[in-house]
Amino acid sequence: MQRRDFLQAFGSATALAPLVVAGLLSPTRALAVSFNRAAFEARTAADALRLIGAAGAETSRDIQLKAPEVAENGAAVPIEVASSIPGTTRLSILIEKNPLPLALQFNFAAEATARFQAKLRMAESSRLRVVATAGGKHYTVFREVKVTVGGCGD
Amino acid sequence: MSEPIKIRATVKGTEGEVRVLMPHPMESGQRRDPAGQALPAHFITSITLSLNGRPVIEGALGTAVSANPLFAFQLQGVKAGDKVSIAWLDNKGQKGNAEGAFAAG
Repeated sequence: MQRRDFLQAFGSATALAPLVVAGLLSPTRALAVSFNRAAFEARTAADALRLIGAAGAETSRDIQLKAPEVAENGAAVPIEVASSIPGTTRLSILIEKNPLPLALQFNFAAEATARFQAKLRMAESSRLRVVATAGGKHYTVFREVKVTVGGCGD
Repeated sequence: MSEPIKIRATVKGTEGEVRVLMPHPMESGQRRDPAGQALPAHFITSITLSLNGRPVIEGALGTAVSANPLFAFQLQGVKAGDKVSIAWLDNKGQKGNAEGAFAAG
């Protein structure tokens, strides 16, 4: 599926406009497939991956994940993520050992590059996993980050 | 939120970079106050970045996003003067938004 197709698959913004006015759709829903909020409540990485539909994600070298090898402060670990997989429409981040592993997900329209920087909390040393979604398929990459002082508890 | 959102948008050629800082406690729900009472979770659950009024990035956030979330994004086909806006919604129904314009960087 081409990158632009997801909007067409959902109907054009113009076609949806009357529904937005009628309050039947929130404007942001026109961007892409909506998120599964339950995945953010999952307490294991395996459950979270299953709930975002990415349990069978295959490893890809076309996803870049920059993160420190050792993070001194788990309260704000800087990460940079980019996918060069054509047609990437979503990036999801999981911190596998956090109490709630799914950290965030971004949907990207055609005007946006599938890339972002963020700062995340890590409770302890953990595997950090990226899932890229492109054309309905899921791709993944991960790396270990050691945390000196955890950032979730007190 | 009392602190204003900071939004900085620069464009080089046709590639735009947006940095946003959204003041918010992002309380994880995992912490306790000095008396040992659990602090209830209070965090941004969704953000929307729009270019000239059209949503281009939509995010769902969990409690692992650091306090005062700071994000950087890249947009294509952008020119100086284009409007960029960010809106957030948290788990208590509070909202925030801000708008900026791309400047040649």
